[in-house]
Amino acid sequence: MFVVDVMSRVPVYEQIIKQVEEQVLTGILKEGDKLPSVRSLSVKLSINPNTIQKAYTELDRRQLIITVPGKGSFISEKAIEVVGANSREKMTELNKIIRELALAGVTKEEIINNIEEVFNNTEV
Amino acid sequence: MINAEAIHKSFEDFTALDNVTCNISDGCIYGMVGSNGAGKSTFLRVLSGVYKPDKGYAFIDGLNVYENPKAKQKIVFVADDLYFLPGATLNKMAKLYASAYDRFDWARFKELTKLFGLDPKKSISNFSKGMKRQAAIILALSTRTKYMFFDETFDGLDPVMRNLVKKLICNDVAELNSTVIVTSHSLRELEDICDHLALLHKGGMVLDSDVLELKTSQFKVQVAFRENFDKSRFEQFNITRYRQEGSVANMIINGDREETVALFKAMNPLVLDVLPLTLEEVFTYEMESLGYEFESALEVEK
Repeated sequence: MFVVDVMSRVPVYEQIIKQVEEQVLTGILKEGDKLPSVRSLSVKLSINPNTIQKAYTELDRRQLIITVPGKGSFISEKAIEVVGANSREKMTELNKIIRELALAGVTKEEIINNIEEVFNNTEV
Repeated sequence: MINAEAIHKSFEDFTALDNVTCNISDGCIYGMVGSNGAGKSTFLRVLSGVYKPDKGYAFIDGLNVYENPKAKQKIVFVADDLYFLPGATLNKMAKLYASAYDRFDWARFKELTKLFGLDPKKSISNFSKGMKRQAAIILALSTRTKYMFFDETFDGLDPVMRNLVKKLICNDVAELNSTVIVTSHSLRELEDICDHLALLHKGGMVLDSDVLELKTSQFKVQVAFRENFDKSRFEQFNITRYRQEGSVANMIINGDREETVALFKAMNPLVLDVLPLTLEEVFTYEMESLGYEFESALEVEK
């Protein structure tokens, strides 16, 4: 379910958080879906259980998941909303990219065409 | 809980451990790295009661370890140089361990010998080096002790076995809240499995930190400006390293990442790249600042 690259510069716990966010956005994880337990994920990825616990705690804090003691962790009903709000912040990044493209001589039409292509290929 | 208090140990005129203090909480996988002769093995031997420290104390769950069977009941130690009784088979060694450890788990022993594919009836002296190591690991994991120390144990295993042992350790930590100390001189061995890392150098504890903190509190910044500038422009940051070539500067900064990025952006740079450090980089810089070239080949020039 999750893939972790231990050689990456990005801390393992951030990688897990990111993947949960992505899977919520793409609909792979839906409201009420259960995440693997800390122990099973730790054994599966051979990653320290405390690291996984940290990721889950952070997801819980961000209200992406709800942890029920003795039952497990589940995707919350707010999850999409929470991740979506974060994604809006990415607009500033997009602005920056567009500016760079413009400086590099890419025309407005090309950029717009590209955007349309992306939308045509993604179901929204 | 493991408490080492101001431990000092020397052999004739060589100081192996100099005033080492550390506390290791339960459920922690504690990685220890250091150059050769840094004192890693000595430290583990003191913690497991093989050596008596010249000064200071080693406590396990509040019990002094040295010559204390009660404390030793809670510890298993896989040393770097393994010892098996002459001509012993795995079964025979297991009997020896079972006589010393009250909680020795025969069912687990059988399961593990099968998992590792070792014949418990064969003489261990005919095993290869890596198989001997596996045998020692099987015995250690079968004791069901709360504290497990592995001295460079992973270094001699092939990747498949290494992964298997890591999984087994993760399982014990998650299930039984075991505490594990692993030493190695290869950071890569420790990066994924440890949540705490310590760096020993010439008998002293140089660094002792949460892995997450190590990875997030320091980062590398590459920045370029249109106009001329030098280091004085970045006085507001806590810079540990600075190098400038032409209009591009590389630096290592300690501090809060988002805050720093915001400050840099406000300076209106042409280029701004902020990268987290790898553990290898963190340790290389730390060792260099101590005047020890940790493998200059690792010098990061990306």
